[in-house]
Amino acid sequence: MRARSGIATVVLIGALPIALIVGVWHVLAATGMAPPSLLPAPSAVAARLVQQWSSPAYLEHAASTLLRLFAGFGIAVIAGIAIGVAVTASRWVGATVTPLVRVLAPVPKIALYPAFILTLGFGDASKIALVVADAVFPILLATAQGTAAVEPKLAWSAQAAGASRWRCLLTVVLPAALPSVLTGCRIGLVISCIVVFLAEMITSTDGLGHLLVRAARSFQTVDMFVPLITISLLGLLLNAGFNAVRRRLLAGFPETTE
Amino acid sequence: MTRPVSALAAVIAAAGLLAAWELAAWLAGIDGFPPASRALAQIPRILTDGEALLDIAASVQRMAVGFVLGVAAAVPIGLTMGRSRHVAAFFNPLLMMIYPVPKAALMPIIMLWLGVGDASKTLVIFLGVTLPVIYHSYQGSRAVEQKMLWSAAAMGMGGLSRLVRIVLPAALPEILVGCRTGLVLALITMVTSEMIARQAGLGNILFNALDMAQYDTVYAMIVIVGVLGFVLDAAFERLRARLVAWAAPSHAIIAGTT
Repeated sequence: MRARSGIATVVLIGALPIALIVGVWHVLAATGMAPPSLLPAPSAVAARLVQQWSSPAYLEHAASTLLRLFAGFGIAVIAGIAIGVAVTASRWVGATVTPLVRVLAPVPKIALYPAFILTLGFGDASKIALVVADAVFPILLATAQGTAAVEPKLAWSAQAAGASRWRCLLTVVLPAALPSVLTGCRIGLVISCIVVFLAEMITSTDGLGHLLVRAARSFQTVDMFVPLITISLLGLLLNAGFNAVRRRLLAGFPETTE
Repeated sequence: MTRPVSALAAVIAAAGLLAAWELAAWLAGIDGFPPASRALAQIPRILTDGEALLDIAASVQRMAVGFVLGVAAAVPIGLTMGRSRHVAAFFNPLLMMIYPVPKAALMPIIMLWLGVGDASKTLVIFLGVTLPVIYHSYQGSRAVEQKMLWSAAAMGMGGLSRLVRIVLPAALPEILVGCRTGLVLALITMVTSEMIARQAGLGNILFNALDMAQYDTVYAMIVIVGVLGFVLDAAFERLRARLVAWAAPSHAIIAGTT
């Protein structure tokens, strides 16, 4: 009983700042202190949000954003895990890739976007390439760290039992490193979500980011908030969905703290 | 990636990247992908051009201000969150909601409110920096040994001085990990918001060159931004290692984007 009321208090306290922000926002808009052209009322934004979410044209924009997001994230997961495992498995790959990652990881990948535009064109390919460039590093680093930390006895036992080196990597080392790999993937997923939106804002003719820029050019303030809220909710949803998958996959693992 | 990377290996990696770029450009032979040698030849011209240099300096200055303000605001919040369950419950849901919002995408909205000047650009960088620093300060502060705090309290130390004189130094290694991520994020947010706002700064030079089909300059700017990211990160890492030489080295996953 006490635990339950404790959770209720925590939820209540947590809702407080969010309610406060929406409240101040509402008062600012309702009293006319902030003109609607600068800050539309939260109710106006909410109404527009609902209206847009049931509009096929808006959903089409959202679909092209999602397509780029998942294409980029998917490639980043495959490449990141493959390279990350190879770094641990082979000394030569490790010695080559580690300094490369050390040089490339702190580089702002968004600066590469003009290069992607010039080589891959203004279409989907350059945006997907940017998502891959941004999302691959956390996945790669988490996989390399996770697989390097796997108890060597596990791999030795498997090899003593006759498993080949690659089979041992795939069926023993990689699953043992799963918690770390999935953490990297989750970070990469939220990054993908953000990057695809930014790329669409910089140059695009469709997608949620393009909608924000189009609204900004015509000073449609309400329409500026709607895509921004959509992409943030999408990020939250994907994050929550990924966490649910993660919990299921890691059901047998000891509790890990993040 | 637990092996330390020597400076020599990083230099060889960078040289290898440039060689690969040179070769790929010769093989591709398209206008939009000039070889490394031609792009690098533009760098001295850009760095001696007074106007471009002023633009870059202004960008870096905004980044520094946003970073310092962000750290100054985030560390106290993170530390108190780590020591008080109620404060943590207050901020956690709000931070979770803000996490997937693309900060640089707020640029058009903030520009409506604060104009196109330095204030909006600095605010966006500030927003990009605070989240990772709060998160890591929170983790660091939460892990502080309770006995130390009890001892200090028993000796008559007040709440605030316990926070400053015990929690802050004990959490410093973790705080600095957050600052390192924050620094990379500050640079990314700066470049991205300048690409979106197209007013001034590094991001603007990059896209102006793209519009005017000065492809060598585009690639030269990409190299400049990349080197800036690498140098800032390496310099901060060196500072961090000196400040917290007593703590076990940690290898953070650079979750770098906004």
